[in-house]
Amino acid sequence: MQMRMIIDSRLPPMTRSPMLQAQNTDWTPLNLAMTDAVVIPAYDRFAAATTPLASNAAGFCAAVDDTSLGALQQDFIAAYDGWQGVQHIQFGPITYFNWNFRLQFWPDDKGTGARQLDALLAAGDPAALTAGTFAQQSVGVQGFPALERLLFSDDSLAALKNEPYRCQVVQAIAHNLDDIAHGVAQRWRDDFRATVEKADERGFFESSQDATIDYLKAVIESVRRIQQQKVEAVLGDSQATARERRAEAWHMDRSVQHLRTNVAAFATLFNDSTPALNTVLVPADLPDIQQAFAKLQQDLAATPDSMNTAVKSAEGYAALKQVDADLDALFELLEAAVKKTDLYLGFNSLDGD
Amino acid sequence: MTPLCNRRQFLALTALLLGPAARALATDDTASAPLLLSAASTRDDQHFLIGFRHDGSSFHEVFKLPLPERGHHVAVNQTRGFFVSIARRPGTTLVLADSASGELISEIRAPADRHFYGHGVFSADGEWFYTTENAFDDEGDTSGRLVAWKVDGSGRNVSLTRTFDWPSGGVGPHELLLMPDGNTLAIANGGIRTHPSHDRDILNLDTMQPSLAYIDRSTGALLEQQLLPAEFHQSSIRHIDVNASGTVVFGMQFEGEAFMTVPLVATHKRGESLQLLLAPAELQPQLNQYVGAIRFAADGRHFAASCPRGNQFTVWDSSTGTLVHALRARDNCGVIASANGFVYSTGMGKVAELDLASGVVTEFDGAEQLALLWDNHLCSGAVA
Repeated sequence: MQMRMIIDSRLPPMTRSPMLQAQNTDWTPLNLAMTDAVVIPAYDRFAAATTPLASNAAGFCAAVDDTSLGALQQDFIAAYDGWQGVQHIQFGPITYFNWNFRLQFWPDDKGTGARQLDALLAAGDPAALTAGTFAQQSVGVQGFPALERLLFSDDSLAALKNEPYRCQVVQAIAHNLDDIAHGVAQRWRDDFRATVEKADERGFFESSQDATIDYLKAVIESVRRIQQQKVEAVLGDSQATARERRAEAWHMDRSVQHLRTNVAAFATLFNDSTPALNTVLVPADLPDIQQAFAKLQQDLAATPDSMNTAVKSAEGYAALKQVDADLDALFELLEAAVKKTDLYLGFNSLDGD
Repeated sequence: MTPLCNRRQFLALTALLLGPAARALATDDTASAPLLLSAASTRDDQHFLIGFRHDGSSFHEVFKLPLPERGHHVAVNQTRGFFVSIARRPGTTLVLADSASGELISEIRAPADRHFYGHGVFSADGEWFYTTENAFDDEGDTSGRLVAWKVDGSGRNVSLTRTFDWPSGGVGPHELLLMPDGNTLAIANGGIRTHPSHDRDILNLDTMQPSLAYIDRSTGALLEQQLLPAEFHQSSIRHIDVNASGTVVFGMQFEGEAFMTVPLVATHKRGESLQLLLAPAELQPQLNQYVGAIRFAADGRHFAASCPRGNQFTVWDSSTGTLVHALRARDNCGVIASANGFVYSTGMGKVAELDLASGVVTEFDGAEQLALLWDNHLCSGAVA
């Protein structure tokens, strides 16, 4: 490779490049539009969905039967769906106090959560379940994966009927989910929205553009994340090596429904505010991106509802492979589109030394 | 013409109780300002070694040397006027260039069974150069190596000759430095085993054991070795600095579960135990378990730890073991002490200075326009 060297090229300090122009644009109207039209409503929906779960769990242990368990499972499904609608937002209040991990510690390839839950159940200590103390318990016992295991295992009905403490753990987790969901929604409304609004050199964000990058990452990085964690991890290298137990929510077999909710939420964040997040990209790039979103959602709709069953049939496995390809295509389009703008999602933070 | 500066007050967690810091005289003549060196890349994956100066408000590029692969740290030979850019792990090139002009002198490749870890250091007299290396086919505990190179010649004829090859006191050695006694090397052994055939994958996640090792550079003898408590064995010790009185500070990158609260910085004095430090509870998780670079301030008491994954630039007081400032700075990583505090660089293209006494951050005009992704380390290009 020929080495060239440029000596002493001093740029006049007042030169304005497109990057600096973008830096001087006020992105606050966009950030607030996304916050008000998409993010806060999504967190409100999540909090609204955890409330029935918590209140119905409160009375559940007095009368555990098929019907009451079925009803609580439906409440759980709705609450988990609410979480799937905001799971991609990984900045702001969800990062406080480890709330994100306490809601859902997953993937958990080492089975840490299961071990922690088993230990909690074995200890049987009522003091561990009081409102103040439960929040201090291991992360793996506090959230959706633990509660899913308690409500959707084959022996759940019998176990919850016969083991009062197990049922109390259900109540504690439901209450904890509700507390956190409301806590996050409230922090966004009462505090973080103002932080986003004041995103200039005096505030938490370095600039309004700095905040916009977090919203953009919530879409783009989440496309890649669900591809790798929710699809490819299950598919393995071939159908013979597929592992349905690596799917999110495999106990209740709602992994495909979660994917549909996730993608819909990405599209909503990308499109459904005025102005919309998609306006940060070059307009000519948008038709292909929207088409990629549409194809992905179409193919997800056509995928069998049961991922556990899908991976066992050639057609189902092929449908999931198609979803994998669609996610890949969408990510590549988004990444290429971002490269044409002055926005950059990270360098040192992506890969270290 | 008054440069357009971007000044920010940063978010102080506690009151700053420093005496007035020594201040550099304001000058418009950047030629006398210290030369700083950093690896940097462009968004289309070209890699460079940039030499630049600043006058407290503006950035001035001095030279831009293309690199064959991504750089990392730059070590300057104080007596013979050249620097060495060491390739980022698992790179195999050392690029030697003239300190003042950045003119390429030569390129050295590692032996076939070795790669570098991005760091190297010269002895104060400029006679010896030390690199950390991976003898990646060595499956034992001696795969981490410290290599001593003899420096000969000067100018365009300068050469480095591999002379000694010692164990580094741990697996996965990373940054190393010369202690104030001029004879002891301190090495941050990250504890992570990798092999080029597995790219940058961690091969020993469950058994990794980082260490801080002190080695006699004349004999290779291990003088002292400090290990972390077992619960933190996945906190990879990667970057270190030392003050004039021999207090070492090091920064870590945690490879365990994402929800764990683990110390990311620590201090140490020879013969004493490690002091592991935590940020306040609401801030510690925001650091995202990762320190990118660490440097003492000129006062030898405060130090900065950059957290590129948490987008936080943190400042600590080593005498109290507490965090005193946290500044939001997306993708910040490179950091170096300046007369007024710290200069830091970011993967978003910014280069800025934090004035410790006043708390003001000044982003240097002229840096962002270059659209460079400043790499992990900011180094001094000054020669004695």
